[in-house]
Amino acid sequence: MTGMTRYYLTRTVVSAAFGCLFAFAASTWWIGALAGTIALAFFVWAPRSGRYSVNPELGATALRRDEYTQVVNAKAARNAFVTTTLSVAALIIYFGTISQGDVPVAAVGVTLAVGLLTYLTSDLWLRRTLG
Amino acid sequence: MTLCNCLKEIRVLKGLTQESLASAVGVTRQTVIAVEKGKFSPSVKLALEFASALETPLDRVFWLEETIGGKA
Repeated sequence: MTGMTRYYLTRTVVSAAFGCLFAFAASTWWIGALAGTIALAFFVWAPRSGRYSVNPELGATALRRDEYTQVVNAKAARNAFVTTTLSVAALIIYFGTISQGDVPVAAVGVTLAVGLLTYLTSDLWLRRTLG
Repeated sequence: MTLCNCLKEIRVLKGLTQESLASAVGVTRQTVIAVEKGKFSPSVKLALEFASALETPLDRVFWLEETIGGKA
């Protein structure tokens, strides 16, 4: 059995277990099937994405982020943290001085979305410039 | 000082593809590309693993060069 065959077989088992877990937790079979399919799709995509190295001999933890991916992720996370912090600061200043009142929950959601968007954009940009 | 390497030249000389070198070292192909282009400086451990996979002494694969007008 080659390394990748072993990887795909073990990932199929992990995806099935993941699906069963969701099926029992949600009490509906289709949610379990959907979760299992999404998990399997991720495991098929991961080795081709260039973001994970595959070490089939490690069994359940065969997918690893290598050194370069960790550096890219750390820089993207730093950028996301900075933009989220600045967004929160802007919200506090705006609702504290200009438009005095409670900060709407939707505005907090926007700051989280800004952080997530920054993370994803930074990740893509760094992969283009570093690699 | 700038970290330089001739990873690509030695890899090609050994008849290895980026994919096979990445697989031998346990990293992604993108990491090999980034190191070959000099855009990513690997850790000592990873540099030693590259040298070992290429069966070449470390100092023939990686070396430091004085940066002209730069800091020592």
